[in-house]
Amino acid sequence: MTIAFVTQASVVLALVVVTALAFDFTNGFHDTANAMATTIATKALRPKTAVALSGLLNLVGAFLSVQVALTVTNAVVKIQNSNGTPKAALAADGGNALLLIILAGLVGGIIWNLATWLLGLPSSSSHALFGGLIGATIAGLGWAGVNWNGDGSKLDGVVGKVLLPAVLSPVIAGVVALVGTWIIHRITAGLAARYTDQGFKWGQIGSASLVSLAHGTNDAQKTMGVITLALIASGDWTDTKNIPFWVKVACALAIALGTYLGGWRIIRTLGKGLVDIRPAQGMAAQSGAAAVILASSHLGFALSTTHVATGSVLGSGLGQPGAQVRWRVAGRMITAWLITLPAAAVVGAVMWAIGHLIGGLAGAGVVFAVLVAFAVAVWRRSRRTPVSHENVNDDWDGPADPTPEPEPAPRVPAAAAVS
Amino acid sequence: MTDNLGFALDGAWKVLTAGLILGAGLPLLFALGIRSLAWGAGGEAEVHESGVSGPKAQPIGTVLGWLLFAIVVAGIVLGITFIVASGFGKALSFEHIYPTIIDKH
Repeated sequence: MTIAFVTQASVVLALVVVTALAFDFTNGFHDTANAMATTIATKALRPKTAVALSGLLNLVGAFLSVQVALTVTNAVVKIQNSNGTPKAALAADGGNALLLIILAGLVGGIIWNLATWLLGLPSSSSHALFGGLIGATIAGLGWAGVNWNGDGSKLDGVVGKVLLPAVLSPVIAGVVALVGTWIIHRITAGLAARYTDQGFKWGQIGSASLVSLAHGTNDAQKTMGVITLALIASGDWTDTKNIPFWVKVACALAIALGTYLGGWRIIRTLGKGLVDIRPAQGMAAQSGAAAVILASSHLGFALSTTHVATGSVLGSGLGQPGAQVRWRVAGRMITAWLITLPAAAVVGAVMWAIGHLIGGLAGAGVVFAVLVAFAVAVWRRSRRTPVSHENVNDDWDGPADPTPEPEPAPRVPAAAAVS
Repeated sequence: MTDNLGFALDGAWKVLTAGLILGAGLPLLFALGIRSLAWGAGGEAEVHESGVSGPKAQPIGTVLGWLLFAIVVAGIVLGITFIVASGFGKALSFEHIYPTIIDKH
């Protein structure tokens, strides 16, 4: 990217790029749990080793995604043509209209990701991103700007690419993990646990690595597509067949660093909160998740890694005779899934309105400032009940909680964290 | 809406089938491998009455166990090949029974 002179548009573009990378970063730490929560919970790997391995595989995965994901927003909103170029009406005036929609959408996604991280809830980063974009588009272009149902020729639109897979994929992954767990239980009955656990820990590490790699190829691509779209809108890039190399490097690093940071709060919920998982269950859960993720990307069935991973952990709890599933935790999680898309949409819409009312560079700057302020507030709130690699595996119901609250995850609503 | 529901159920069915074959089938082989190894090792690997020594070691079990692990590893390699291939715009084809890498249509 060559910025010969600093114009208003190029500053807005820079804000969009930084925000997109920030989203990619939250995408990383929000989803570490999907691959590694069970591996950490069963102590197959030490927490720091697990996040380092997952981060590395996400980095590799991101570089493997050579195919252009430029049309990523087309699944839910109508701001791009089918070849990936922005709609002409939005690209006029240095692409400001499009940049504001993207910026507001990304901020909506990040704010929701941060709020759910604070509560230790594994919600879908893709839903947060799509929700933010949908909200910003409704505010900017009206209801007709959203691709609700596609054109009926294939699985498409908000319903086909987001809502239906969200309902179906956790059930599918749950059934696969349930069957896997039950089969393993039957086959290894009568063997000394000391003997089998060692073997299953290796199986867990292998299957968790596959999930990490698949995550890197799928999720980093989305941010690469969004940044490239912004570059095309502002006239800094014209090639719709390739993405700039620096974009790929930046996105790969952002998601890998985020993964390495480890969303310990979410890892704790998924690894300890739902089911007290044992190595055999962990292996069944991660194998089920890996198989479902790979099979669906092969068949073009869009889904969220988070929904699959959570469904498979639940399934492994149901398939193991005698294991207990904490349905209260599962209920909170499912509630978070249901409101992820609308909540991120509301934030995206409000951000667009703020940016639009103030207008221009100042508008984009205020939206960005709101994001920074919110992020700092959430981080400060999280310091009160820190969850790190040291206490991530503490007993869920036990006395090891840092606070006398009955639940380890703080139950303060996101709004209270801002005030 | 109804179109999408039809496509989604169609896709879900395929994903479930593939998921069960790979996601529960490979763990099944893995578990059988561990069972075979335990059979091969004998002694303390299996739960047995205390006071008496465990079952006798069966070397064939060890061989069988590692053979099963090899099949599982082959399945995982296929999975990685699939991820890498789709990243480069290729796809895995099973039209010759054994997998080959082809251009994505």
